[in-house]
This record gives sequence, structure tokens and C-alpha cells, in this order.
Amino acid sequence: MFELFNPQVAVESIGPLLGGLLMTVELTFVVITLSLVCALGVALAGMSRFAPLRWVVKAYIEVIRGTPLLLQLIYVYYVLPEIGIRLNAFAAGVLALTLNYSAYISEVYRSGIQAIAKGQHDAAAALGMTHALAMRRIILPQAIRIVVPALGNYFIGLFKDTALCSAVSIQELVFTAQVQAALNFQYFTLYTVVAAMYFLVSFPAARLVNYLERVTKSGYRRRRR
Amino acid sequence: MATRPMIEIEGLHKHFGPLHVLRGIDLSVAVGEVVCIIGPSGSGKSTLLRCINHLEVAEQGRIRIDGELVYRDEIGGRFRAHSNRAIAAVRAQVGMVFQNFNLFPHLSVVGNIIEAPVHVLRKPKKDAGRRALELLAQVGLADKAEAYPEELSGGQQQRVAIARALAMDPKAMLFDEVTSALDPELVAEVLAVMRDLARRGMTMLVVTHEMNFARQVASRVIFMDHGAIVEQDLPDRIFGAPREARTRDFLKTVLER
Repeated sequence: MFELFNPQVAVESIGPLLGGLLMTVELTFVVITLSLVCALGVALAGMSRFAPLRWVVKAYIEVIRGTPLLLQLIYVYYVLPEIGIRLNAFAAGVLALTLNYSAYISEVYRSGIQAIAKGQHDAAAALGMTHALAMRRIILPQAIRIVVPALGNYFIGLFKDTALCSAVSIQELVFTAQVQAALNFQYFTLYTVVAAMYFLVSFPAARLVNYLERVTKSGYRRRRR
Repeated sequence: MATRPMIEIEGLHKHFGPLHVLRGIDLSVAVGEVVCIIGPSGSGKSTLLRCINHLEVAEQGRIRIDGELVYRDEIGGRFRAHSNRAIAAVRAQVGMVFQNFNLFPHLSVVGNIIEAPVHVLRKPKKDAGRRALELLAQVGLADKAEAYPEELSGGQQQRVAIARALAMDPKAMLFDEVTSALDPELVAEVLAVMRDLARRGMTMLVVTHEMNFARQVASRVIFMDHGAIVEQDLPDRIFGAPREARTRDFLKTVLER
């Protein structure tokens, strides 16, 4: 009998696919960690008083925003070796995704920092704080709280975008499914399982982001004991 | 009584684009003096206060605080700005309270008060905390130490802001229309704290629309209009017998309200 979904294939492929999912999760965590840190540097550099630094940051962000992520991945993996920069697939994927996400997340940080009222800067300055101290103690703690929901959404977006890394042969979830499909041609079964795996991670994560959004919007209160 | 000047201003000019908001201000505030600045909105009162704290940068003129020329040097007719660190060090000695309180919402009341003593003056946290509680008692908020700014009324927030400025042991305090954003029934509690501060001998420069406060507490009242000091005198003279027509007109408008 012809069946679209083959439970036996699903069960047999679950092991390799979970291996792929593990790689997807690993990529996501490595890239988001690097991006959260790098983006802060990019955001602060983008607001620097030193104009050339601002121009460089602006150009970088515009180039990243103006080209497809898939192309950026391919560029890092296939083009950089031609100028002597040879990276393995994983490193290339991490580099390309980090470059991409740092640009976008830096804009999130920037908007968060700029959302802090001028009065906060005035008050900090009037108390004798230097710009750096005010940033660290007064502005960033408030800005980060504002941007947490947006960062959560980027985190989920990244989790799904790592699928593009299949194009540079990183053995993440989609790549693994492609390999399996080439062996048994069970596209429906394999890709349905893959879709379910993505969804089962993304959906709870999205709920968590919603929850964080509610918490961060509720204002600053005394902790109830 | 020999009076030592705490704040001295000479020939201060400031533009916002084409707008000439300070047109050559000369002003001296002696140690322990309470000077109230009154005048119509847009007369440059707040800008003057903000220039004293370098939150606005005046294009021309000199500011001395406790005898020291601050924010920049003048060498051969040209200005050379002081370092950001030096500017911050001056600000640390002059307290400022704002119209909109500007408390740090992510810090508790005590957190707000000890922030600068701990991170700017590098005081031990314990000492700063003890001092914070004393100051909270002084402004009548001893029970609010652990609260967050959002949980307080406007009047309470403003009293915390005063305590926060006092925690730096400032040489002088600048008050920028500190009751203007308050509901009418909350104004008195803030003015009471300021009155008490004046009695304790704090040097104060107060931009205000509270004429009764100016009349009762000020050692001297300054009337400003169009970026210039029109007249200054003892409060009874300014309110009783102003010399300038512009002062009379202004007082007539505000007191008839």
C-alpha cells in the first residue's frame, strides 16, 4: 500500500536527525553568544564620537542588511579561501551567521539605548558619572531590559536560519535530512519529522519570549518575598 | 559678614541655533545663600542652571565654583575644554535636582542614593548605605528605602532625588523647577524639604515658579527675562516694590492667578 508517511522510516531516521538537531542547537548557541557580545561593541562603536568609526559601522550594517544571508554564508565558505582564508564548514557557518546577526542585533541595542530618556543621562552626569560609567551602570541595564523580547525573537530566528548552513555542508538538521532522503527517497516522512523538530523547539521558545515580554513591560517593582 | 562666593558667573552667553537664550549673565552666589530665580518660561532660567552643571555648554563666559575656574581654561583668548574626567569631578561637587526627578527606575530608592557615592566617590557600600538612610530620614522617607521609584508618588520621588543629590555632600545645590511636574497637593512636601535644607545652611540656586517659597526662603531673588537678569534684590523688595516694569508685569500675571 502506498503511504505518504512511513512510521518505520521515521523511527529509523530519528537517531541521525536528532544528531542533526544537536548540531543545529549547538550552532545556534555559539552564534547567539558571540553575536550578543559583538553586537554590543558594534552598537557602541556606531554611536562613537569618532566619525570614521561610525561610518565603518554604518557601511558594515548596510552591506549585511542589503545582501542575503545565504550569499554571505557561501561567500565566507567558498570565496574567502581564494584570498587565503580557509575555514572549515562549522567555522565558516559561525563566522557568517555571527557577522549577520551582530549587525541586526546591534541595531536592536542601539534602539534600546536611544529609548532611554535624556533625563537619565542628565541625572547620571550631574552626579559626576563619566560617560562610560553612566553607560555601564545606568543606561545599559535599562536598555537591555527593553530589548530582551526583541533579542528572544532573533534567537528563534537564528535557530531556524541555521538551516541555511546545509548549503555549506554543515551536518545540521536539514543537511542530515537531505542525506537520509538521498538514501531512501522518503521526502514526506523525513521532512515532516524535521519540521516537527523545528516546531517543537521554536514554539515553546516563542511562548517564553512572550512571557519575558510581559515581565519586562510590567515595570520595576520590589521583589515579593 | 564676609561672604565667600560659591558660584560665580561672568558674561555667560548661550545660543540654541539662532536663539540667543543667555545674553551675558553675571551672577554670584555666596556660601550659604539661597538665591531664587524667577521669570517667564523661555527666559533662560533653566538653561543658566544647566550651564552651571555643564549639561549645556555656554559659548562664552566664565564659571567659577568655590573659586576654581571650571569646565575650560582661557588661554590667549581661546578656550581649552577640560577633560571629561575633570568636568565630571566638578559635577560631583554640585548637586542638581530636575523637574522630572530623573530617578533611575531600575534601582531601588537606596540604590539610587548610593549609586554615585559608591561608584564615583568610591565610598564603601556600607557607609554609603548608612548615610542614605540618614538622608531618607531627613526627607521623611525612612520607610521607603527598599521601594522602587515607580512605586512612589511624584512628591516622594522628588524627595528621593534631593536625597540622592545630597548623598554626594555637594558644595551647592541647583534646583530646576523641581515642583513644576507635581500635583498641587504634593508641592508642599518637597518645598518643606528645601526649606529645611536652606535652614541647614546649604548654598542653593533655585529656579522656581513658587513665589511664596521665593518670598519666604530666598536670601535674594533674581528676575530673568529674555536671557538676561532684569533685576535682583531682597525678596521683600522684589515682591513689594519691584523697580523694573517687566518685573511688575510678570509678578502681576503670576500673583493674580
